[in-house]
Amino acid sequence: MSFSTRVCLGVAVALLASSAAWAHHNMSALFDFNDRVTLNGALSKIDWRNPHIYLAVDVKSGSEQGQTWSVEGPAPNFFRTRDIAKADFEGALGKDVVVEVSRARDHSRAGLIRQLTLPGGKVVSACPQNC
Amino acid sequence: MIRSSMTKAVLCSALLLTPSISKAQLPRDPAERARVVAQIMEANARQLTLFDRQGRQVSTVGTRDLYNQPVFSPDGTRMAVVKPDLEKETGDLWVIDNASGKSIQLTVSKTRENAGSPAWSPDGKQIAYVALRDAYFGLYRKSSNGQGEEELLYKGSAPMTLTDWSQDGKYLTYFSTDLAGGRLYALPLAGTGERKPIEVFGNKSQNQGPRLSPDSRIMTYTSNASGRFEVYAIPFDPAASPGAALAGPWQLSDQGGTGMVFWRKDGKELYYLAADRAVMVIEVGAGATPKFGKPQVLFRPPADIAPGIGPGNASVTRDGERFVIAVPRPQLRQLTVYDRAGKVVSKVGEPGFYNQPNMSPDGTRAVLMRNDPRTGNVDIWTMDLASGKGTPITNDTDPQNAPIWSPDGKQVAYVSTHESISSIYRKAADGTGEAEQVFSYTPGAGMVLTDWSNDNKFMTFYTGVIVLVPIGNNQKASDRKEIDWLREEYLAGQGRFSPDNRYIAFLSNEDDVDRGEVYVRPFDPNKPDAPLAGPAVRVSKDGAQGMIAWRQDGKELYYMTRNWEVMAVDIETTPTFKAGTPRMLFSLPGPLPGNPLQWKNVSPDGQQFLFAMPTNASTQR
Repeated sequence: MSFSTRVCLGVAVALLASSAAWAHHNMSALFDFNDRVTLNGALSKIDWRNPHIYLAVDVKSGSEQGQTWSVEGPAPNFFRTRDIAKADFEGALGKDVVVEVSRARDHSRAGLIRQLTLPGGKVVSACPQNC
Repeated sequence: MIRSSMTKAVLCSALLLTPSISKAQLPRDPAERARVVAQIMEANARQLTLFDRQGRQVSTVGTRDLYNQPVFSPDGTRMAVVKPDLEKETGDLWVIDNASGKSIQLTVSKTRENAGSPAWSPDGKQIAYVALRDAYFGLYRKSSNGQGEEELLYKGSAPMTLTDWSQDGKYLTYFSTDLAGGRLYALPLAGTGERKPIEVFGNKSQNQGPRLSPDSRIMTYTSNASGRFEVYAIPFDPAASPGAALAGPWQLSDQGGTGMVFWRKDGKELYYLAADRAVMVIEVGAGATPKFGKPQVLFRPPADIAPGIGPGNASVTRDGERFVIAVPRPQLRQLTVYDRAGKVVSKVGEPGFYNQPNMSPDGTRAVLMRNDPRTGNVDIWTMDLASGKGTPITNDTDPQNAPIWSPDGKQVAYVSTHESISSIYRKAADGTGEAEQVFSYTPGAGMVLTDWSNDNKFMTFYTGVIVLVPIGNNQKASDRKEIDWLREEYLAGQGRFSPDNRYIAFLSNEDDVDRGEVYVRPFDPNKPDAPLAGPAVRVSKDGAQGMIAWRQDGKELYYMTRNWEVMAVDIETTPTFKAGTPRMLFSLPGPLPGNPLQWKNVSPDGQQFLFAMPTNASTQR
């Protein structure tokens, strides 16, 4: 294979050696980074597991009003190293959040989280991983 | 920019789970953080080195650092480079004076933001670049002396890579790629108000690195349209209607072209990096349609660094007289067998560009990844440890990684990725016959294959989750469904079946987000998808980074610490799993690039250990 070493560091930081940013999908294969959607709604479900977290959002306004979207975020480790806990999201269940996502290429009600605003106003960025 | 938009780099990151520097999530513990930063520096720092047209080293610039994307100023006296700040988790642009090595910081990014892919204005007074700002990528420019504020030229969304500022000053050229293909753009700089990019070219191929000829009539770029990257040219007509049929593209290279396509300022020569990392030159004749000559080798960079050179770390002055390469540490590695005391038992064959050596079940052979410096291709090979004789298992241009052995040593399995689909293949270890596709995974998703169970019923790979692939049936690859064996809030990977298939050892940060440890859990091959029973037993005591291996008799387990110490632990597996106190067998001078830590490098009797050692490293600390 032709193997670019531009960012393939070759350093042996496979699992956990540096709490490495894990890449499960190439996100651009599934999500269109040029197609952004902002969802305003209630956080209704959390799946806080590897390799990506999933949230369900019941959208309350805009053209997606009445729809339930499944939005995908980075791995739990991403949040743990930013001092954002699962409990922060559990505390937001049933409350209003704002989620900016890249829309799924298949135009299903799914997206990749770029930024999320929790009920208390705390902004959680999924960049640079998801940007 | 460091956040790569080059697909092969994306694949590299995905498949090896190796983060780009600017995206690495460092541990929060200060001591652990400092240790990781030091290791990243040691493994990845590069020396900016200037060469003349004959390939003679002229000088070095500054000191070794995490430099990338060096680009000469139009007069050749300065360079813009990208340098990450590991502590802040940023990447920023610096301008270095080539004579003195003194530098100024051009951009200042907020934590976890970055700037990169610099392009100089024709007069050298400004530098344009791509920056991630508030969750948006944009094209910006700023004075090259670092004064003043940055100016937003174009606000995008998807990642993009800027490659040039046309010599007439009218356009920035950039590209954006993903697994759906690559598109080349030109952004007109004239006028006021919102600027609108011109999509010059795009299709399902990975099209990258657009640069305009000095008269802005021709755009050169690289593309993998033919199955490997080559250099192409097309006419550039900003007035053409979208989708209008244009002449070309014309293929300019003939033996692979990885990028770094630059025009000499008089338009009479083109330069690029060939697949084997030779610096190439093409003469360009004048005319209504330029006449491109046959590519010629200008010079070949030192062989021991060639695989570490890419289009993102080399460039050329506008007069074609000086070339800069951000020179990595030597890439050659010697396959070396150690005994339990850390003494060298043997060196296998000649040094080569080896990765991920895995020892066969009988301890006589290795399977590994081998980079062919003549082609730039990396393939899976087996190698006899006594004679050093190698046998190719694969010989193609698809990305491959993570080779492992079958329990009987007659086959090897590996991951190969074709058009965004990663699959597990297996093939006879003597290289004969056809490869059999065993399993096909989610499009765009990478996997690291780590083991093949002794009962031939399962393979396992990891993605942060430990995943099992049932192979003890005659299903087609497309019909096989993976099983999430360990999918939790914490990371888990590097699964390794015990010899009796009753346990799986693995690495996880269950107890400490900043630190991996080795754990063992019971495994029932008859109920692979049953809920996990009871807590995991922790085997390591003060951190581990991998190299998990069971001795064939099931009485000892091995792993490597974060300080490159090879550890052994006495274990019992009946009636339940119990682990003794880890003890160090020997240590190695890490970091050891080329040895991603999912590899299984221990002989079945636990007496020998196989590593791909840097040729410049001492053999024992």
